[in-house]
Amino acid sequence: MILRSVLVLVLLVGILSPASESLRFELQSSQTKCIAEDIKSNSMTVGKYHVVKPNEDHPLPDSHKLSVRVTSSYGNNFHSAEKVESGQFAFTASEQGDYTACFWVPEHSPQITVTVDFDWRTGVHTKDWTNVAKKGQVDAMELELKNLFDTVQSIHEEMFYLRAREEEMQELNKATTSKMFWLSFLSLFLCLSVAGLQFWHLKSFFEKKKLI
Amino acid sequence: MEKTRGGMWALMCFLLLNWLSNVSSLSVTVTDVECVYEYVLYQGDTISGNFVVVDHDIFWSSDHPGIDFIVTSPGGNTVHSLKGTSGDKFEFQAPRSGMYKFCFHNAYSTPETVAFHIHIGHIPSEHDLAKDEHLNPINVKIAKLREALESVTAEQKYLKARDTRHRHTNESTRKRVIGYTVGEYLMLVAASLLQVFYIRRLFSKSVAYNRV
Repeated sequence: MILRSVLVLVLLVGILSPASESLRFELQSSQTKCIAEDIKSNSMTVGKYHVVKPNEDHPLPDSHKLSVRVTSSYGNNFHSAEKVESGQFAFTASEQGDYTACFWVPEHSPQITVTVDFDWRTGVHTKDWTNVAKKGQVDAMELELKNLFDTVQSIHEEMFYLRAREEEMQELNKATTSKMFWLSFLSLFLCLSVAGLQFWHLKSFFEKKKLI
Repeated sequence: MEKTRGGMWALMCFLLLNWLSNVSSLSVTVTDVECVYEYVLYQGDTISGNFVVVDHDIFWSSDHPGIDFIVTSPGGNTVHSLKGTSGDKFEFQAPRSGMYKFCFHNAYSTPETVAFHIHIGHIPSEHDLAKDEHLNPINVKIAKLREALESVTAEQKYLKARDTRHRHTNESTRKRVIGYTVGEYLMLVAASLLQVFYIRRLFSKSVAYNRV
């Protein structure tokens, strides 16, 4: 009854490689949007979110404040916040899997739209780039190059992952083919046996009825 | 001293902004329209990306006809559009800076999951080199290198999304094949049982068999 139509949009991040997303999306009142990211084990992840203010001067009314929950695929809660304007979370993923960050705004009678700015970085991109300001020019370039090197390494790892996935798919296809092969034999056998049983049963039936 | 510090800051900011080249990768369940907003800092930036429709529940029907992808510039013009595809890559220059809207439109009622990746890349041009004397041509090269690596990463994400789509298709096919085969067996056995019962009934005592 209260649920007018809670539209749950599951936003899955279908990647394993280090990624950063700084994106905006809109939330209607009493609507929940979830973003999930597949994170490798023992990789650092940082997320920042804030509500984009419609007008800068006025403070944000309660109806525009958003609530957040970050959970792992096993149900462990890593971060939650109720009715906040902005926040951030950081943790090291203990197990590989889908980590979901869900956002929602409380119910409000005239439907309001809240724009949320969300920035989620994992792996390579986690390194806080405000540290760049402290270093000198050459150090900044060195940091850039180090970053490029880390990106190359992550690309390398991702290639291994893709290769493994492709092999899994090949195994799956092979298993399906062999299963179909055996099933077709089974169907032939079944057909013949059913026909044979029918024939035998009817023959004995007619012999019993003394028609044959 | 002041000048070098100012120059250093300019370089920091430049490197920061370079780094801020947006990367966003996630997938959305599109029931009607889903939009994501990304901010483009400079005019002439290359907006590149890809998206793949990872089919949801293809069970009875064949492949989904596809979804539409529309990119709208801050001025409201449609910059790029793709109709009825199941996944594609795109790349174009941003005609102006501002907030761009990337929308997925699903013309049919079945919800579809779309995995997409958007990257906004900026390479400092010769003009920027001439303006800022602290800008090294090496920074341009580093920016180009970064863009090349990002394109490799984007391609990997595309491959991974396509792999997921193929995996879904294969698993669905496998389930369907096994289901239909077992159903076929059951139907065969049921049909033969019905045949036997009918023939028995035809020749039973209660019905005069010379009527047959």
